[in-house]
Amino acid sequence: MDIIGSISQFAAQEPAIFALIIGVIGAAVIAAVVNVGAMLVIWGERKVLSDFCNRFGPNRVGGRWGILQLGADAIKLFTKEDIIPADADKGVYVWAPIVASMGTMLVAAAIPFGALHIGGKDYPLVVANMDISAFYVEAALSIMAIAVFMAGYSSNNKYSMLGAFRGVARMIAYEVPMGVCVISVAVMAHSLNLVEIVQSQTVWYAFAQPLGFVIFVIALITDLGRIPFDQSEAEEEIISGYNTEYSGIRWGLLYFQEYNNALLGSILLSLLFLGGWQGPIIPIPVLDIISPLIWLLMKVIIVLWFFIWVRSSLFRLRIDQVTDLGWKWMLPLSLLNLGWAVLVGSYFA
Amino acid sequence: MTNASEVLSSIQSAFPGAVLDSRVESDRRLWATIDSKKILDVCKHLSTKLNFDHYSGAAGVDWIARKEMEVVEIMASHGTHQVVAMLKVKTPRENPSVKSLTGLYWNANWYEREIWEMFGINFEGHPELWPLLLSDELMGAWPWRKDYKGYPDLTTGERAVKISTPEGYTEYHIPPTPAEVEAGTVVVERPKYPTLREREEKEIKSDSEMIMHLGPQHAMVPGPFLLDVLVEGERVHKAFLDLGYIHKGIEKIMENRSWLQGITYTDRMCYVASLSNNECYCGAVEKILGLEVPLRAQYIRVILEELSRIQSHLIGTGEFLTLIAGVGYAPWQYMIIDRENIISLIESVTGARLTHTFVRFGGVRNDLPAGFADQCKKVLPYMKSRTEEFIELFAQDPIYHKRMDGVGIIRPDDAKRMGVSGPPLRATGVAYDMRKEDPILVYPELDFKVVTGTKGDSADRIDVRLREMLESIHIIEQCLDRIPEGPIRTEVKVPKKVPAGEAYYRVEDPRGEMGMYVISDGGDKPYRVKVRGPFYATFQTLTPLLEGTYIADAVAIAGSMDGCPSEADR
Repeated sequence: MDIIGSISQFAAQEPAIFALIIGVIGAAVIAAVVNVGAMLVIWGERKVLSDFCNRFGPNRVGGRWGILQLGADAIKLFTKEDIIPADADKGVYVWAPIVASMGTMLVAAAIPFGALHIGGKDYPLVVANMDISAFYVEAALSIMAIAVFMAGYSSNNKYSMLGAFRGVARMIAYEVPMGVCVISVAVMAHSLNLVEIVQSQTVWYAFAQPLGFVIFVIALITDLGRIPFDQSEAEEEIISGYNTEYSGIRWGLLYFQEYNNALLGSILLSLLFLGGWQGPIIPIPVLDIISPLIWLLMKVIIVLWFFIWVRSSLFRLRIDQVTDLGWKWMLPLSLLNLGWAVLVGSYFA
Repeated sequence: MTNASEVLSSIQSAFPGAVLDSRVESDRRLWATIDSKKILDVCKHLSTKLNFDHYSGAAGVDWIARKEMEVVEIMASHGTHQVVAMLKVKTPRENPSVKSLTGLYWNANWYEREIWEMFGINFEGHPELWPLLLSDELMGAWPWRKDYKGYPDLTTGERAVKISTPEGYTEYHIPPTPAEVEAGTVVVERPKYPTLREREEKEIKSDSEMIMHLGPQHAMVPGPFLLDVLVEGERVHKAFLDLGYIHKGIEKIMENRSWLQGITYTDRMCYVASLSNNECYCGAVEKILGLEVPLRAQYIRVILEELSRIQSHLIGTGEFLTLIAGVGYAPWQYMIIDRENIISLIESVTGARLTHTFVRFGGVRNDLPAGFADQCKKVLPYMKSRTEEFIELFAQDPIYHKRMDGVGIIRPDDAKRMGVSGPPLRATGVAYDMRKEDPILVYPELDFKVVTGTKGDSADRIDVRLREMLESIHIIEQCLDRIPEGPIRTEVKVPKKVPAGEAYYRVEDPRGEMGMYVISDGGDKPYRVKVRGPFYATFQTLTPLLEGTYIADAVAIAGSMDGCPSEADR
């Protein structure tokens, strides 16, 4: 009691410094949570994908479930020789993975990771609860596009350049319908704040605007660069696309950000369309406090599992077909969905 | 129906005196030596009047004792008749030169280039006499001539001279011996030709175009070969091919091994179709020997070759799928897992998974193991249901059709002109299958259909392969019902020395028409073995086919051909 008392006294005396300390601690916690989460996502993808493909997946390092495989991979990546091509644009080359990680962390700062249910009230777990967080998150997710282009452009490699072109063309074609979908949700929720969007979902927006949900899922897969929209990497065509020249931990960072984004993207999808952490409270002590967390986690796992399912069963589209689909179908349909959201939203209001 | 003697008399009446020597082996084989001055006219007559629209290949032979070289043009028809005409053109060993057939047959290009670089026979009127398989430093050594001593001469080590180039590479040169210099026979002048890089750079018209390598080390290539594409953005303007990255010189090696040892080398040409290669070589030798294969052995061969076709199609299709869907695509893995069943079946008979060396002259190595038929009857219905599932899966997948429909279309006429065979040809609608055209073993008694497509695009090629697997299963089921008891090898003792003679034998490889032209001079080794591989022919069509496509489609088209560069290079 004494400690809490002195902390609250300090907070009252030096509010600015206290906010800074809280911010730093929050950032550290969020970074740890996101990165550990992404590692689990990588492990999960390898395990689930191998299950789809009727094989074992990692099963040596760390017992029969291969849970330590990622640690072994990380050690390997850290100890590998760091190669920067002689003709590369060195500064941009070095900064590309860092920009990619910054983009992810910016997303993580504003995204609610769930809520704690204490005394009949939900306390959302979010570092920066800003009024436009939905739009901010959607914008920050696309910083990856810049990183992809930096990596591809600076590598001075033909495959990388083509991969970067593809990445940017794809990203532009799908950011717009994705943004329109977020606006549609905001129109229904009467707010751009993610916490308020979750709280306003008496009916999941996936059911209130199914068209918008489908478009958002497709656009999200595109944004994450996963099959059938992984043209920027397409290893059978352009070796490894934008990260062809990267090796060691720089490659590891780029690779890691894709999974960070996959995790954050599926959280965003759950928050916007699947009711976020809402769900029946489990009437057991302790579990009732974290039951919103459990619900969100379950939704996120289902979304990620769906992404892996898609990867194991769909073909990769050609880049011109991707942009065609984006501009000729997704954008008009997302606008149609916006109109629907305005109509229904005003009816509910 | 035209038969060989009618073809011969037609040539003789049209060009009196053009046929210097002839032999009608059977209704289906015509051997004729044609006057080198009239070869073009004879070929034009054959292609226009007698429907010889399939230029199947050409072989060079060095008759060092007779001081002459021979080019053997192998010609056939796409189903109009079953005659294979083997037209020989003789040329002196000094400055050998014959007329090029590239003006008549588009696909003669590569065959003549190969003969030129290997034997030094010049082809008058050939537009691009550049090396195809050989590396630059071997050019001008004419390695497949009979007096070629090896490079460097490792047996004695005398003639090889190590030279360090200014760039820091080590090269080996063979200086002529004093006797050779005196005789004036050795000319170390290398022929002049544009390098691949020069050819590529000549095609670059604007700053927005660039050359991109797809190979020799690339996720797309099924084996090492170089595919350079000239791209502007995503669009492929032109494609360049370079072979020879795994050129093993198998044809030359086989000239230096005993007849029996040669079987082992046929395995290594294409390890996913090694039984067909075995069959082709042994069949040709049996033809020279006049051996009759016992009925049981014939059935065993058919069963195994069809099993081998199924596993080859499974991996060919599966690898193609990874090219357009990534390695995470689950049906690819299912195909590989299913293929394991077939491989185990073959392994239970031959003892090897891929390189079987199972077929013998006049029979097979060993009998089927006990319980093989039961095992087959367990696996085949399963494979049948799985294959039907795959066919349905691809027929219904909208993204697959969006990607593959209309991609890499070959029209039937073009396919015939380009000498394509196997599934890529049948996908265009031309029912051309060696098992029907030039039947061997017990194939004539078996009931099966020649699977054809309609559009000739990449989706069709895959569909044809999958439906062919069903036919193969049907064939094996019939064979298992009919296979008689009896010996598995001919009673006659196979001699060590094969009597002088020659034979051309064709089988339907999983990739298409495979032919072997074997010559014996009565010795214990083949005098010459020419392999007419199916993928070598299909390979040639890639360059024109890729022009104007997207990079992603170029990869898919190359993949849909089910390539085996190992067999193309030999």
